Amino acid sequence: MCMLSIATLVSAGLHPVSGEPRHCRNDSLAMTLGLQLAESIGAEIKVLHAGDENNPALPNYLALNAKKIDVISVASGANIVDSLATNLANTELILTGTRAEDGEDSGLLPYLLAAKLNIPLVANALAIKPIENGIEILQFLPKGKRRSVTVKLPAVVVVHPLAPIELRFAFAQQVSGQIVAHTAQNQSKTSSSKQIQWQIQAAINKPKKLKAQENKSGHERMLAYIASENKGGAVVNEGSSVEKAQVILSYLREHHLINF
Amino acid sequence: MTDNHNNRINPRRPFKGTASGLNRIVLTTAPRLNEAPHAKPIRNSQKNNAEQASILVISHSDRGMLDDHARQTVSAAAILANEATNITVVALILGDLRENIASCGADKVIVMPEFSFEKFQPDLELANITAVIERLNPIKILMPDNFIGDGDLGRRLIASQHTKTAATHVIEIDSLHAASPHAAGRKIAFTELPHIILLAADAADTNLPFIGSATIQPTIQSSTQVENTNNQQKSVSPYQNLGLKTIASEQVALEEADLIVSAGNGVSNVETFERLALALDAAIGASRVAVDDGKFSRDKQIGASGKTVTASTYIAIGISGAVQHLQGIKDCRHVIAINRDNSAPIVKRADLSIIGDAEAIMQALINAVAEAKSLSLQEAACACYLLLR
Repeated sequence: MCMLSIATLVSAGLHPVSGEPRHCRNDSLAMTLGLQLAESIGAEIKVLHAGDENNPALPNYLALNAKKIDVISVASGANIVDSLATNLANTELILTGTRAEDGEDSGLLPYLLAAKLNIPLVANALAIKPIENGIEILQFLPKGKRRSVTVKLPAVVVVHPLAPIELRFAFAQQVSGQIVAHTAQNQSKTSSSKQIQWQIQAAINKPKKLKAQENKSGHERMLAYIASENKGGAVVNEGSSVEKAQVILSYLREHHLINF
Repeated sequence: MTDNHNNRINPRRPFKGTASGLNRIVLTTAPRLNEAPHAKPIRNSQKNNAEQASILVISHSDRGMLDDHARQTVSAAAILANEATNITVVALILGDLRENIASCGADKVIVMPEFSFEKFQPDLELANITAVIERLNPIKILMPDNFIGDGDLGRRLIASQHTKTAATHVIEIDSLHAASPHAAGRKIAFTELPHIILLAADAADTNLPFIGSATIQPTIQSSTQVENTNNQQKSVSPYQNLGLKTIASEQVALEEADLIVSAGNGVSNVETFERLALALDAAIGASRVAVDDGKFSRDKQIGASGKTVTASTYIAIGISGAVQHLQGIKDCRHVIAINRDNSAPIVKRADLSIIGDAEAIMQALINAVAEAKSLSLQEAACACYLLLR
């Protein structure tokens, strides 16, 4: 395996209860996965943050064993995809978390970055294994399913929040680590893609569900109420237990819930 | 007038004498309740010109059906289309589709069975949905923001379509605006309805007063495109699929399990129950009573004070279905109940209720499953033999 260059992107997070600045959990998973991978194959790893180098959240990543964090100084509100893309042009493997904790957290950054760099992207990664001519990724799928895929490098890999990675916090590492600031080379104030204007409010009320308008008479509403009270599926009262078992089996088969 | 007269409830209808007095709530004519679904009109039926504007919904199917989240997304599109005039709802289903999705309000359905969510081919999927988008030129694109590939595909689409506005994790939507959580849910951000919307779960109601016509569109054009791109990209594609694996059901967290058998007070023999779970390769759950009795560990408890599960199949054995338990299984798609009492609340919730002795039915089910498995093995062996000949 040749020398691989890995970069992990970290963002500033917020504590879910107190709102204090701290590491973003998803990004720390990606960073720790990257650090473990780099250690196992002897690769070079860079921990990258775009934003303010004095952010109180950053030392948390040092405590989580990032020896050095490179900060690209970007003014708040500026488009970070372009400056990240120029910094990551020669990196073979870029690791990010699924979602940030502070700000828009749309989960779009890795996709925009991959589109900008024109390299493949694999999301929902649980584990990464280097193979010949690329990496093998174990992907998360719901309902207890997992999928293995391979991807050629360079690539962006988005780490899933359920990745089985243990975070180890050590204050000594926080003290010994360093944060280095770089000025952004390609800073554009205008975002390259869609401008969307968000109006931000405190989330006090529960979100309203979209419902279809119904103009029913009172009588119809009462009927609907009674009908919904009476709902329920098929009831099998008769037959021997063998026949009843067959009913269950044919129900499972009919809805493709079993494969035998 | 006469219709109205027929709909009136007979005030002298039969009654039941209960401890608390006369109960007249029971309606005499049961068939009337079954008529209700047929009464829904088809939305948009008379205007059928080809030049209609459309809202496109893109979603993967799961085993030939749409899951709740996907149905909510199609319904959301139908509700938005209903408020304006002359807009069709086009559902683009990736993976095979064996059910009719008219009830969610889809007017046209395009099925691309070769893009099952189990295969990983994002570059091909993106190329094909982009082709469909170019052909239809929809005014809005809605997708469910889930983990079976739509969230991923939607973000790829957003990244590839620079000129269009987009919002992800949309938790609130109406005809004018969309809202997403900001700063991990502490804030909420509103915006004008963007072009591409990735809808979070439970943002729309699937209960519609109308149905769509759900005409299946021919996919000849798209499938030829698929073959073309297939040939071109086979060598170029950076992704390779190594296959799917399913974790053994004992190791899966209960919240993530797809098939759960759950035991309540009616299960006397835990050993038979565990054999049934093994035979069906199902995860084991239990009601509070069974856990309190010490038959199962606390982490198996399903319900308000236990876990909330989202299995597609939930088999409740000897569980009466207290409200707290039903809360825990509210997201389960198919509920099968085995119970001695046919007036238990679980019977109202279940899609199939078997009334009888749990122990005997469990034994019979274990035998039936073993028989079915050996038969399907024999069939597979036969097919192999025929192929080799």
